[in-house]
Amino acid sequence: MSSSDHRPDGQTLTVSISPLFSTPVLEWLFWLVLAGMVYALTDNFDEPIAEYQFGASGWPRVLCAALAFGATAQLLYKLTRRRAEREKPADPSSGQESKPAHSGLTLGAKLQRAGVFLVPFLYLYVMPEIGFYVATPFFILAILLLLEVRSIKALISVTAVVHGLVLLIFTRFFYVALPVGRVEGFYDLNNWIIAFVRTGM
Amino acid sequence: MIEFLNGTLTLFGDPTAVMIFGFGLIGGMLFGAIPGVNMLTLGAVLLPFTINMDPNHAVMLFSVIYCAGVFGGAITAILFNIPGAPENAPTCFDGYPMTVQGKSGKAIGAAVSCSAIGGVASAIIMMAATPLIAGWAVRAFGPQEIFALIFFGLAVSASVGAETLWKGWLSVFAGLLIATIGTDPVGGVPRFNGGSVMGFEFSSYYLSAGIHFIPMILGFFAVSEVFVQAMSIAEGKRKRPKASLEFPSLVEFWSVRFTMLRSMFLGFFAGILPGIGATLAAFLGYSQAVRWSKTPERFGKGELAGVVASETANNSATGAAMIPLLALGLPGGALTAMIMGIFQIHGMEPGPLIFINSSDLVWVTFAAMFWANLFIVFLGWLQTKTVVHILNVPFRWLAPGILLLATIGAFALRNLTIDVWVMFLAGAIGFFLRRTGYSAAGIVLGLILGKLGESAFAKSMQLMDYDVFGFFSRPIAAVLLIAAVLTVASSIWNEIRGRELQKALID
Repeated sequence: MSSSDHRPDGQTLTVSISPLFSTPVLEWLFWLVLAGMVYALTDNFDEPIAEYQFGASGWPRVLCAALAFGATAQLLYKLTRRRAEREKPADPSSGQESKPAHSGLTLGAKLQRAGVFLVPFLYLYVMPEIGFYVATPFFILAILLLLEVRSIKALISVTAVVHGLVLLIFTRFFYVALPVGRVEGFYDLNNWIIAFVRTGM
Repeated sequence: MIEFLNGTLTLFGDPTAVMIFGFGLIGGMLFGAIPGVNMLTLGAVLLPFTINMDPNHAVMLFSVIYCAGVFGGAITAILFNIPGAPENAPTCFDGYPMTVQGKSGKAIGAAVSCSAIGGVASAIIMMAATPLIAGWAVRAFGPQEIFALIFFGLAVSASVGAETLWKGWLSVFAGLLIATIGTDPVGGVPRFNGGSVMGFEFSSYYLSAGIHFIPMILGFFAVSEVFVQAMSIAEGKRKRPKASLEFPSLVEFWSVRFTMLRSMFLGFFAGILPGIGATLAAFLGYSQAVRWSKTPERFGKGELAGVVASETANNSATGAAMIPLLALGLPGGALTAMIMGIFQIHGMEPGPLIFINSSDLVWVTFAAMFWANLFIVFLGWLQTKTVVHILNVPFRWLAPGILLLATIGAFALRNLTIDVWVMFLAGAIGFFLRRTGYSAAGIVLGLILGKLGESAFAKSMQLMDYDVFGFFSRPIAAVLLIAAVLTVASSIWNEIRGRELQKALID
């Protein structure tokens, strides 16, 4: 869809309008698919409840409809607003605004950004296996490295202080039960750490 | 007045009582401030020990923990975007942006002062009118009024933190939908914990308990903040927030006097209603501050009134929550239920007769809550002068600690790793929500109020024989529903008019 036939600077308009159009439609489709999927799932528990005629699925279905309605209203709003913006003369700065923020990033920076998201999930994945007490120092180190802490002294001292405080507060004083791992050697090691931290109690 | 003075003398004339008072105050503040543990953790740990305590001391201890715990979570909410407890979540909306702008001292100063003002006012009303108010609130507020109140709260606060009204509502609907995971509140039918979609079979035992809002709050606020800051560091754009010790001036306090009064009233009102409590009080206080502000667009970006509204309202709810407990024996939340437990352990039954049979206990409790709220100012001031300096520590060093606190907080809730997965997923989603203009606050609001709203709606429908117009036969429900509808209509109108104005300017 292009409005280039109406304006002499059609090329500029095509470039600036396409993302404006595609994003709201994609957003609308996202919400619609989500609402549709959730609605389909409500069939799994669409059973009557004694003395409540709307059943277990009534409320979630109303919410699915509300999501679809809201998404459609948003799409219509954005499309009509776009029409107003189309009337606006091309703004040289608008091209810069629509430029993705990460376009100038190096491969290292991109990996660093991906790492920030992936490391917590990796930590969560290994924690039940090797235990909180063993996995945590490595997690702290990984986060510090991802946040560009390069000094060996800082890496060691921050890891020691944060891990030490967590052990002291949550394990020694509050007795918070944290995963001790399922893998044999790690299970014993985690329990040994707990026993060590609680020495004298 | 005489009874209050007697209660105060009994409290401060007994060294054991003073020690217990101090322990409750500091313990409540600390437990309220550390994510992963909260005032309920402290209460649960201490409950068995109350068997051997004097009942006056035991009830007083828990009342003080309640007041201090509700305030404690504000500090971490303001400094690190980590609400210590759900009732401090709205404090993050403006408190943390103020920290980023180098106004952390003002934000904490406002939180300290308003928590104390809200709490003291609530304690005074509690002392003056407990039996009267309790009777009225319980008679006048049925499921219809509670549903209408929740609908009104959602209508007002839907657009908080969102780029547009539509994004705000979509966020709220998403939160309400997440709240339906678990079991249906009427028949206990399992929902969304198994089945098939597009030929893909799934089943999860963990989802039967639903998605708890605490991991979601920790994810949306604390974890997503770490992600945002980490991205800024990767892009070389991060600026360190300046630690500031500057308290709000009297002029600034004067400018938010109506917000304070309104939040006080709303907080007190929400606190009386069983099951509503300080969390909804804080959200209602905040949403009404946005509703009545001349500059609503500044909320969510570091507006002092946002912190004032949330903190006044949640502390106002503490005194109010004691009213149905003492006067009618109806605990409104988990901590008041523990206090009820103390009464039962000691063979007492809360209710109208408690004012006659255990007058000492009632007045020592009232006096303790009053003084605890006043002491919050002093302890909060000390905290402001000390804790704010944590901001001088580089964020790179604090981030692992923040993530670990959030991890432990999410895990310790139910000892489930899935809660930690939910938290990190919410963190990642929260990061993208911030970039796309959706509202994390809206999702959290929907999630917190969803179950309560559905339950109240179902009960209302059953009571009214499925006649929707039955809501309008009850004056309070009718007023709240009409106000909600008008709020929605006016916000849609403002959104459209805003667009037309924009078009006119372009023309």
